[in-house]
Amino acid sequence: MQQAKKLTGMPVDRIDGILKVTGKASYATDYPVKNIAYAVLFKSTIAAGSITSIDTSEAEKVPGVLSVITHLNAPKLNVKGGLRGGALLQGPEIEFHGQHIGMVVAETFEQARYAARLVKVSYRQTDAKVDFAKLADRAVPPKDRGMADVKRGDTAAALRNAEVKVEEIYQTPIEHHHPLEPHSTIAVWEGDHVTLYNGSQIVNGAQTAAAATLNLKPGNVRIVSPYIGGGFGSKGGQWANLVLTAVAAKVVSRPVKLALSRQQMFNSVGLRQRNIQKLGIAATKDGKLTALAHETTTHVAINSEFLEPCGDCSKVMYDVPNSLITYRVVPLNIILPTYTRGPGKSTGSFALESAMDELAFKLNMDPIELRLKNQPAVDPSDGKPWSSRSTIQCLKEGARAFGWEKRNPVPGKTIQGDYLVGYGVACGSYPARQRESSAIVRLTAKGPDVRATIELAASDLGTGTHTILAQTAADGLGLPIDKIHIRIGDSDLPPAAGSVGSVGAASFANAVNDACRKITDELVVKSGKQFFVAPTAAQLMISERINSYEARVDAKPPVSANQYSSHSFNANFAEVWVNRSTGMVKVARFLAVTGAGKILNPKTARSQIIGGNVWGIGMALTEESVIDTRWGNFITRSFADYHVPANLDIGSMETIFINEEEKFSNTLGVKGIGEVGIVGVAAAVVNAIFNATGKRVRDLPVTPDKLL
Amino acid sequence: MRPFKFTPVTDAASAIALLAKNEHARFIGGGTNLLDLMKEDVERPNELIDISRLGITKVSTILTGNHSGGVSIGAVGKNADTANHPLIRQKYPLLAQAILAGASAQIRNMATNGGNLLQRTRCPYFYDVAMPCNKRQPGSGCGALEGINRMHAIFGWSEHCVAVYPSDMSVALAALGATVKVRGTAGQERSIAFTDFHRLPGNTPERDTNLAHGEMVTAIELPPDNFAGNSYYLKVRDRASYAFALVSVAAALELSGSRIVNARIALGGVAHKPWRAFAAERLLAGKEATEANFLLAAAEEMKSAKPLGHNLFKVELGKRAIVRSLQMAMNK
Repeated sequence: MQQAKKLTGMPVDRIDGILKVTGKASYATDYPVKNIAYAVLFKSTIAAGSITSIDTSEAEKVPGVLSVITHLNAPKLNVKGGLRGGALLQGPEIEFHGQHIGMVVAETFEQARYAARLVKVSYRQTDAKVDFAKLADRAVPPKDRGMADVKRGDTAAALRNAEVKVEEIYQTPIEHHHPLEPHSTIAVWEGDHVTLYNGSQIVNGAQTAAAATLNLKPGNVRIVSPYIGGGFGSKGGQWANLVLTAVAAKVVSRPVKLALSRQQMFNSVGLRQRNIQKLGIAATKDGKLTALAHETTTHVAINSEFLEPCGDCSKVMYDVPNSLITYRVVPLNIILPTYTRGPGKSTGSFALESAMDELAFKLNMDPIELRLKNQPAVDPSDGKPWSSRSTIQCLKEGARAFGWEKRNPVPGKTIQGDYLVGYGVACGSYPARQRESSAIVRLTAKGPDVRATIELAASDLGTGTHTILAQTAADGLGLPIDKIHIRIGDSDLPPAAGSVGSVGAASFANAVNDACRKITDELVVKSGKQFFVAPTAAQLMISERINSYEARVDAKPPVSANQYSSHSFNANFAEVWVNRSTGMVKVARFLAVTGAGKILNPKTARSQIIGGNVWGIGMALTEESVIDTRWGNFITRSFADYHVPANLDIGSMETIFINEEEKFSNTLGVKGIGEVGIVGVAAAVVNAIFNATGKRVRDLPVTPDKLL
Repeated sequence: MRPFKFTPVTDAASAIALLAKNEHARFIGGGTNLLDLMKEDVERPNELIDISRLGITKVSTILTGNHSGGVSIGAVGKNADTANHPLIRQKYPLLAQAILAGASAQIRNMATNGGNLLQRTRCPYFYDVAMPCNKRQPGSGCGALEGINRMHAIFGWSEHCVAVYPSDMSVALAALGATVKVRGTAGQERSIAFTDFHRLPGNTPERDTNLAHGEMVTAIELPPDNFAGNSYYLKVRDRASYAFALVSVAAALELSGSRIVNARIALGGVAHKPWRAFAAERLLAGKEATEANFLLAAAEEMKSAKPLGHNLFKVELGKRAIVRSLQMAMNK
């Protein structure tokens, strides 16, 4: 048998592409389950206080209604089981507007939705804290010790004595993840065992949290999640809707399906919090940084804390002797914030990289030159050497490919008809990590026909996990890709990390690679032979006439991983056209240059980078969730009001990957690209708007009214 | 969604009779707005009378009457078909442009012309039944007046309602001086001038139009003077497609050399109805078509603007949009 051509690193088409475009890939609520009933949640219309009465009599009279479940009759759950955001119907207390307060279960979705409208609720209202702008000056240090102040040197003195400095405040609004597939679950009980079909970025995490909340052993909960219609962090930790589906199914003794509506997505599954970031950067006249202070104020939930680490990029991007990173938080009656694509780094880099652009302008220096001048030789935060770092190549190759030399450094001078044209650049980074994951390889052979099944509880957000694992296995076993069957997204499979924090590819692919090595080694030993040229597992199955064989690994990152600082780095280039009459902005060209170690599949990787870039453009120009502070409710409740970029908003998108050797963080040298694609994007766009117009906008999004 | 009866009809007379009989019935055409509102529990009809099969879809030249030489557009014709019809593209490019600036391709394929006229405001307080809204529930108050009103009116609002009317198509129809043909319960027909079709909110914001219950829009008539040579629809919005206007302008000029004989300017996104900029039009009549005069006209119109807490920018943006759309109308 011929050894297959190396597939890792090749732009292989998605192996699940046909299934998806023909509708054959089953997402959570696509599973055909017999005798199913439908649950619809209803929500609080106040932001703080408690429920004094719930009248469900009208709802219960609606034909088809099986049960109305509220805190008055809901089964007892463990509220500390690890789900995010509370709202488990365990009591009358209301902590935010739109908190789940009950659900109707009915024969049809329409009956349940109609009946949910008929429930009458009375409240005792207390003063809701929702006005972040007003309460920001009462912010306190966070409880999370990982978010404590980090100081190096004397930033205040360096800023005071600076030859040149920028001290500005940058603001980013609340954003929502809005995956195309709203959070949806089917729950099926068999005795005291429940199967939950549910899009889950971390399959084992969903299992553990659901089991603990339901007071069950983890083994009594099975999560099935082979395909996910996007998540962007909102399907990382799981929310009340997952377990409430199981509760509804238990109460009516039937399988139940619960899908959130788009309107319910605004206050059910977290959000990216609003940040006020104060940046202070000091430099010498020739552009050497002397101080960097990055102080973030944000909001957390009234009874639980999550904040995104906006200062993270400021820790690693530049060589600066005096540094200060701080966080302050205000608890508000707004749903718990959560991980949102490029958590902290996307919003933090907007502040940092805008301030760098402002500094370059003050120094009369090219913004690329300023960045090149301040590259750190080692990680400034802990002194560890970089496992690999290509920021310089990203900037230089990007500048060449983008035509940076055509940029007029004087703002407002490049005019094309109705438009002012500008170029902007900004950098970004995201940590690279391999997390522990197990995997099984099963080989079967019928004569020369060798096939492999790969099993692990990994997840595929739609980014291409199935495909990169099939490529890895094909190379690791010496098989063509069509002989590889990938089984992921099921908690019955060997436990794995999640598709979160850019760890998915490194964790899953290394586990599969290790499993392929292990099975090959074992087959060699089993053969009892010595080989001059190492055979593949597939060759051994044939030569040794083995019908079936399997191996399992519990893969861990190498020891060297801890001795180095590992991050993916990028440089983003934007060309914007700003309409001089209307203030409308078009991103005509965008280029992301990324150094992320080994790129397993440049085709799916490019798509993922572009996806991050598009959201970054949305962050820069269109996306904002707005709260009416009188009630604490979101008034941007649909895609008509919450503006994600449309096709017409996006121009030419180019992606370059630096050919980067990564030897230390994991065996395959994969650093991850899920998050870094959005980091530095908003700043590149806003810097380009400054170059086009001379207007510096420091509060996102840059809607047309801000450029009049 | 509340339970409702679905009644398909094949002739206009029985559709009107059925509607007149039931004050909680609604006509449904494309359903692109009505069904959304029903899912949100804002509209609560107990019967939908499906008029999409009435066949009144034609775009045709009017041969008699005072609009002779103009074009009639069937009420149940689809927005996309209307915008792409050769008669509209050639004679009323302003209307084609405005229709295509609205919604998305999918929605335009479903939405009907009559339905476009009758679509309801996208004010978020109207859409959320947990919020006060005099338009949805008279007497409950206006959530937007002291609330988030960046998208709201700067002209013609009242303390009862500051919502804006969302259609792009209607802005062009207002500028072109269209009339709406309406059929009543006894089969009688009447024509309503476009500027009289929609209402300002006053103290009855629950009423969007002067259509009586039991009346059906059957056609929209465009007069023969079509401004085809010098017109432009400019829409300023938060993203390049599928967003409602911050401000839009339908501008049309009849010129004699460089002198303006007749100017038509209508604004969208600024009022409870398509806002004819009569003050600007009057100022431009008889004047030279220069940027200076366009600026004067835009400033004149905006004198009567009354911005709310979050939409002061619409005054400046409105001025710029008027000037720019008039310039674009000239450049053709």
